[in-house]
Amino acid sequence: MKRYPLVISATAAGLAGVLSFHSHSISEALRSPSTNSATPPRGGSHTTPPKTAAPAKAGSPGRAVAPTSSPPGSSTTRATGTLEQYGYGQLSVRVTMAGGKITNVTLAKLQTADTYSQQLASYVVPILRREVLHAQSAKINGLSGATYTSEAYAYSLQSALDKLRK
Amino acid sequence: MSRIRRGDLLLETAPEEIHRVLDLCEDVRRMTGGWFDPWAMPGGVDPTGLVKGWAAERALDTLRAHGALAACVNAGGDLAVLGRPASGGPWRMGIRHPWRPDALACTVFVERALATSGTYERGLHLFDPHAHRPSSRAVSASVAGPSLAIADGLATALCVGGDDVLDRLAQIPGYEGYLVRADGTEAWSEGMPFAS
Repeated sequence: MKRYPLVISATAAGLAGVLSFHSHSISEALRSPSTNSATPPRGGSHTTPPKTAAPAKAGSPGRAVAPTSSPPGSSTTRATGTLEQYGYGQLSVRVTMAGGKITNVTLAKLQTADTYSQQLASYVVPILRREVLHAQSAKINGLSGATYTSEAYAYSLQSALDKLRK
Repeated sequence: MSRIRRGDLLLETAPEEIHRVLDLCEDVRRMTGGWFDPWAMPGGVDPTGLVKGWAAERALDTLRAHGALAACVNAGGDLAVLGRPASGGPWRMGIRHPWRPDALACTVFVERALATSGTYERGLHLFDPHAHRPSSRAVSASVAGPSLAIADGLATALCVGGDDVLDRLAQIPGYEGYLVRADGTEAWSEGMPFAS
């Protein structure tokens, strides 16, 4: 795969890269029946417009995973976020809430195009998880420096939270 | 931009946003003594070292225009903020540690914008306009300042040019820089607003 020119533009641009450049080849590389079942294919062909629908998709209907019903006497709820494509793979997160607080965030699914991306994801995801959990204790309000993985993580997390708020 | 690079669109007939972004690119090119230079990119002019910050800044402008009093737009690690966080006090942002998964390199207070450019997640993707090849002297470089578009471009230059660009940053009012070198040592400009 001749990645060089794509990486130059997309990594420097991060968001723009994720939204427009990478989705083509990667989503094709990753396409399989199992990966398409959770999320409608997006950006799979060159005629597909860039993923500009991102802000709207938190509320996108039709593929909501119902929150796990709470056991009687417990306020613990869980939901799995949408499967998000990012530059080099796709992921979804599963969030657990108890008493109005996020008590855990785990990866429900992670598929990457290559082993290097797998390593990167396994490296970045713990930071993101900590960030989410720490955000509640107001230690930091945000994280600067992560790129692809963090966006997919944030989108999937947001969709999971939206489901729990319904 | 891709159409311009391919020669399918004349710059003169390009949308106004293209011109605004390229004007900002020219500003940062001059501020950095050419360490940020979209016109030196292989394949033609490429503003991607700045345009993500510009886009996030515009997103924040939209929120502001619609009455938001406090907001944070985080475009893949480039942050623009407005007002104060719900927790009160200034926005406190972590800068990712380039190697340690369980640590932050540092935390900083952000008044307006913070951009980070790094080679740790995707390897060597930055282009050195002076050496005419992919290269970077820092593994992670962050710039805080009033404009996220400018900060993004400056962080790109700081990552490529390392200490040389940090020296230049010290001369640019309102902007502060922080970098981690390849050997793990750090450097920063005097006014970098560290939170701890």
